[in-house]
Amino acid sequence: MRGLFLFCAGFSVLALGCICVFLFASGVPFIGKVGLGNFFGTKWHLNSEAYGILSMIVASLYLTALSTIIGVAVGLLTAVSLYKFCPKNAVAPIRQLINLLAGIPSVIYGLFGLIIIVPFLRDKISPNGIGYGLLAASLVVSIMILPTIVSVSLDALNAVPKAYYEGALALGATNEQSVFRVMLPAAKSGILAAVVLSIGRAIGETMAVIMVIGGSPVMPKSLFQSVRTMTANIAMGATELSGDAATALVSTGVVLFFFTLLLNMSFSLLKGGEKRGKPQKTNT
Amino acid sequence: MKKLLALASLILTLAFVLSACGTDTASASTPTPTATPVSASNSTTDSTPEPAPEPQVSNFDTSKNISIVAREDGSGTKSAFMEIIGLKGKADPANVIIQTGTAGVLAEVKSNPAAIAYESLGYVTADVKMLDVDGVEATVANIQNDTYKISRPLSIVYQESTLENEVNAAFYAFLQSSDAQDIISEEGYVSIANNASPYTINGSLSGTIDISGSTSLQPLMIELEAAFKVLQPNVTVNVSGGGSGTGYKNADEGVSEFGMISEVFSLEKAPSCTHYIVAKDGIAVIVNGDNPLGNITMDELKNIYDEETTDVLKWDSLIK
Repeated sequence: MRGLFLFCAGFSVLALGCICVFLFASGVPFIGKVGLGNFFGTKWHLNSEAYGILSMIVASLYLTALSTIIGVAVGLLTAVSLYKFCPKNAVAPIRQLINLLAGIPSVIYGLFGLIIIVPFLRDKISPNGIGYGLLAASLVVSIMILPTIVSVSLDALNAVPKAYYEGALALGATNEQSVFRVMLPAAKSGILAAVVLSIGRAIGETMAVIMVIGGSPVMPKSLFQSVRTMTANIAMGATELSGDAATALVSTGVVLFFFTLLLNMSFSLLKGGEKRGKPQKTNT
Repeated sequence: MKKLLALASLILTLAFVLSACGTDTASASTPTPTATPVSASNSTTDSTPEPAPEPQVSNFDTSKNISIVAREDGSGTKSAFMEIIGLKGKADPANVIIQTGTAGVLAEVKSNPAAIAYESLGYVTADVKMLDVDGVEATVANIQNDTYKISRPLSIVYQESTLENEVNAAFYAFLQSSDAQDIISEEGYVSIANNASPYTINGSLSGTIDISGSTSLQPLMIELEAAFKVLQPNVTVNVSGGGSGTGYKNADEGVSEFGMISEVFSLEKAPSCTHYIVAKDGIAVIVNGDNPLGNITMDELKNIYDEETTDVLKWDSLIK
């Protein structure tokens, strides 16, 4: 019985190990082979052996930044609203509905973007008649990360001792002032964790992004321009390409892996910081 | 103030929830009562001036940029199309929208009035519009008689003596049979053998056939091989790729019984061989149903899909 548990525990570690070995064994030598200049160049053209993914890295970062800004702005205010400003008996059903968002498969988000957001941007907003691009993808991804932000930051707010709020009220602060000036800063580390988690989801999102990003491997210059993220690059080529081109996709995966690793590390750092240093500060 | 902002964002989030649910289940759109009257009144005020300034038959806006739609790298349709219009090995133009499948291409052209795309003739549906190329309509008949330009023959090359072997002769007969023509049409290719008769099974046949060459013909040949295997279970057909060059070489040197090529047969490349056209690959150029354009020239197509064309092309450069 103990052996079975040990095996189960070992299995996930083994899976991680296998994926790492696969990624690095074929991805890293390939980067060496084509040269850093080529691999981190801006030209992705398989027929002339140009495997530059810089434009895709930039597109991935833009997409992540933009969708996180939109998602955090809306999500954080939603959490605050659920925390204090919403009628008490509406809180639970609304939370449930928002959590439902997390359960929708990403391809459905992609479909939603493709059928609603892209034509809307194309016909009503875009200056050049292109609906695909960073804005469409960011809007879709920002909806996808809402549940993470709302539930994690609401939990963080709920974890702040009620006495802080009451203390602020007693000192003459209004309801809004106590929530925005006292409670939010006290829940800062939990909210930061929510942000990092949602960044992780945004940078790794593939299916929904592919459907609304356009897919042209060029440097992003406009919100309404067909571009390609790293995840889209891998998924678009994975079933069709072979040889060096397929290996280039694995190398793209290595770069993506580094970005997610970085995010995971900063997440654990934040969590560590939360445990050690929470109750000291109250500001004002 | 902040309270209002927070409540507003809550409503926004809920709207997201509900709208996403709406696409999921195509129902549940009754809530958010505050939003409906606002958007309704907006749309009425917006739509009143719209019909007035457009008395023409078509409401197609020719000042729009051409939305160039292409397939992903590695797609057989893409490499065939680029080769035929004279852009072999070139990359896509900068603003291209890449769709990863036939359905995606068709959906985009159907919904985007400014789109142009290419697709295998056999897959084009009635809700998009096929353009004539250099004045020739994209039809099966025009591909069969070689007047439609964006098509190419997919052939097998072989030495005459190969067919003396009855196993090879049986496969050759199968390729000409109606069983094979059905598969060819089903896979989106153009069958060129009219009035084919069904294949007659020879129960005592057994052996191995080796076929190699063009990767454009390979997927079709694999389908044909699978069907042949059902009819003649004791015959093994090995299909491998390598490109048209390999097809010529292997057939000429007798390494493979049949070589596959995806170009017009050239006797110089395989002097000892002859060829048989298995099927033709026809690619249609498609636009949105509202697009008034009826004809496009090869030069215009080449200009649209060339990576070196840096100006943003508008539809009025094509529609005069």
